[in-house]
Amino acid sequence: MNLEFFLLLAAALFCIGIYGLVTSRNAVRVLMSVELLLNAVNLNLVSFSNFLDGQSINGQVFTVFVITIAAAEAAVGLAIILSIYRNRDTVDMEQFNLLKW
Amino acid sequence: MLQFLIQTAWFIPCYPLIGMVISLLWTPSIIRRTGPRPAGYVNIVTTFCAFLHGVVTFPSFWNQPPQYINITWLEVSGLTLDIPLEISSITLGAGIVITSLNLLTQFYAIGYLEMDWGWARFFALLALFETGMCSLVLCNSLFFSYIILEILTLATYLIVGTWFNQSLVVTGARDAFLTKRVGDLFLLMGVLAIFPLAGTWDYREMAIWAQTAQVNPTVMTWLGLGLVAGPMGKCAQFPLHLWLDEAMEGPVPGTILRNSVVVSTGAWVILKLSPVISLSPIALTTMIAVGAITAIGGTLIAIAQIDIKRALSYSASVYMGLIFIAVGTQQLNAALLLMLTYALSMSLLIMSTGSIILNAITQDLTQMGGLWSRRPISGLSYLVGTVGLVALPPFGTFWALLELIDGLWTQHPVLVGVVLLVNALTGFSIIREFGLIFAGERQQMTVRSPENLWSITLPTTILAGTTLHLPIILQKLELLPHWSVLNHEAGFLLAASSLMGCGLGALIYVGNRFPKPVRLPWTSVQDFFAFDMYTPTLYRSSIVSGVDGISRLTDWLDRKVVDGVVNWIARTSVTTGEVLKYGNIGQTQFYLLTIITGVFVLTLLLLRSLL
Repeated sequence: MNLEFFLLLAAALFCIGIYGLVTSRNAVRVLMSVELLLNAVNLNLVSFSNFLDGQSINGQVFTVFVITIAAAEAAVGLAIILSIYRNRDTVDMEQFNLLKW
Repeated sequence: MLQFLIQTAWFIPCYPLIGMVISLLWTPSIIRRTGPRPAGYVNIVTTFCAFLHGVVTFPSFWNQPPQYINITWLEVSGLTLDIPLEISSITLGAGIVITSLNLLTQFYAIGYLEMDWGWARFFALLALFETGMCSLVLCNSLFFSYIILEILTLATYLIVGTWFNQSLVVTGARDAFLTKRVGDLFLLMGVLAIFPLAGTWDYREMAIWAQTAQVNPTVMTWLGLGLVAGPMGKCAQFPLHLWLDEAMEGPVPGTILRNSVVVSTGAWVILKLSPVISLSPIALTTMIAVGAITAIGGTLIAIAQIDIKRALSYSASVYMGLIFIAVGTQQLNAALLLMLTYALSMSLLIMSTGSIILNAITQDLTQMGGLWSRRPISGLSYLVGTVGLVALPPFGTFWALLELIDGLWTQHPVLVGVVLLVNALTGFSIIREFGLIFAGERQQMTVRSPENLWSITLPTTILAGTTLHLPIILQKLELLPHWSVLNHEAGFLLAASSLMGCGLGALIYVGNRFPKPVRLPWTSVQDFFAFDMYTPTLYRSSIVSGVDGISRLTDWLDRKVVDGVVNWIARTSVTTGEVLKYGNIGQTQFYLLTIITGVFVLTLLLLRSLL
């Protein structure tokens, strides 16, 4: 059990999240990918705190904050998606390209 | 009073200048009520003042040393531009010739331009010419001679273009201006190049400098050629002679002056410059060659013309060529004398033919004939002009040409032959015109042709009288050689050549022995001279096409390359903006991708610097 494995796992999770973030057509799935990113970050924080900072575990405190803020952000994000859905009757990201050149 | 007039002899050019300004008031757009005639009358008064001033002061300068006056024109650091004036018997004499010919011509113009409304412009230009020529002869500085020559070039442009609604007038004025301008520009090169060498533009001081000058022969050759090139254009010498032919589109009174005195302005300058030019043997040889080619070619062309004005214009080139030969062989007195006798006779010839043209309408020699019985005064004046122009003793030009070939006799026997040939050919050409106009059958254009009104006939007859009296005047002034020192063989040869030329002309063209129009067996030769040796084609195929091609090329380069580069830069930035705006694709996820890519790349860069 090494730190590197955790970090690699977190990086892989981050990459998967980014892939989902960029490729998803459904807006909710974009938010889900954001959650994946945040979880990857959390994994990083927890593993650093475990392996490098076992005494004061600042990383775990950070993680608590991240989870909290992530919940708030997801709430706001879903609200935004809802308000767009009300106007445009869709959650397809490809339809939200009004602000181009 | 006389003393005052002598002191103010330099005022002679100012009278016609005043006349010019005043006569412009009668331009049709300023004074409408009176008609244009007062412009002419004013000019005659001012010209008469100038003439009188010259005549009154002339005797007090005769056989006296010249007076020099310096007027400072401009002083800048290192350069003082003085206007030196020389008041002497020669310059005043030239001034008298100029003003008297102007006076007669302006009288003539009053009759000739009877039906014309453009008197203000025409007479103002005549006055400008008079001013320019009088100041040219009085002014003793190469620099100011150049300035005056340029002003006269502009004036030529305007006076040839008097009737500018005719297309040939416009092209003729254009050619006259450009051709003379080219010569003037070469002269300017010479003017600028001589200053570092001689340190002065004063003709007198340049002559003194030339006596002891040690100049690199190559430099002197180029300088001499530059100084010759200006008068070459002015005097309508080969190959800058086409303009005089085309300048015949202007009104006849202008032509009188142009053929007799204006073309002599170049000869005057080259005469003054002869001490400098004589430093370079090549320039002298060039002058002689140009003069000889022009003289022979000009007479041959004149013989082949059917336009009366053009035939006489080539004779003008011919006599200027003779003056070139005279100056080229340092026969300055002969050149001066020839300028005088030529000016009178040529003006007389043109006055007489102009009087014919005014009534016969046509200028075509082949459409004229049989005017002798109807136009005796014009005919007699023409004959007087003829005997004055070709070397027939005892009339004026005989003495001039005699002095010329007397000087050429031992050194340049070939040139003696050239002068004799040219003299004979000119006699032939002038008598040919006489025969075609006055002898033979009356033709449709000349069936009814009365003598003109007095203001045309009077100056013609006065000038005829002057031409006849010229030998007596010259003798009174002791300008003719004494009988004992006369070169009798030369005189005999000259008279024989004139008689031969005139006789041959009379034989062919007076009377019905030969069918007219005379056709040579070699049509191409006849056409060659009739079309002025195809000079227009030559110009167009060499200089004009060259300059035209280069200007098109530079225009193209300017439009396409210079403008193109700048426009290309602008167009590239516009295009870049147009293309790059599609980066703003409108997809939030693409923006995210961009951000992530940016972060990734930046991180990589940071990491690389860390490692």
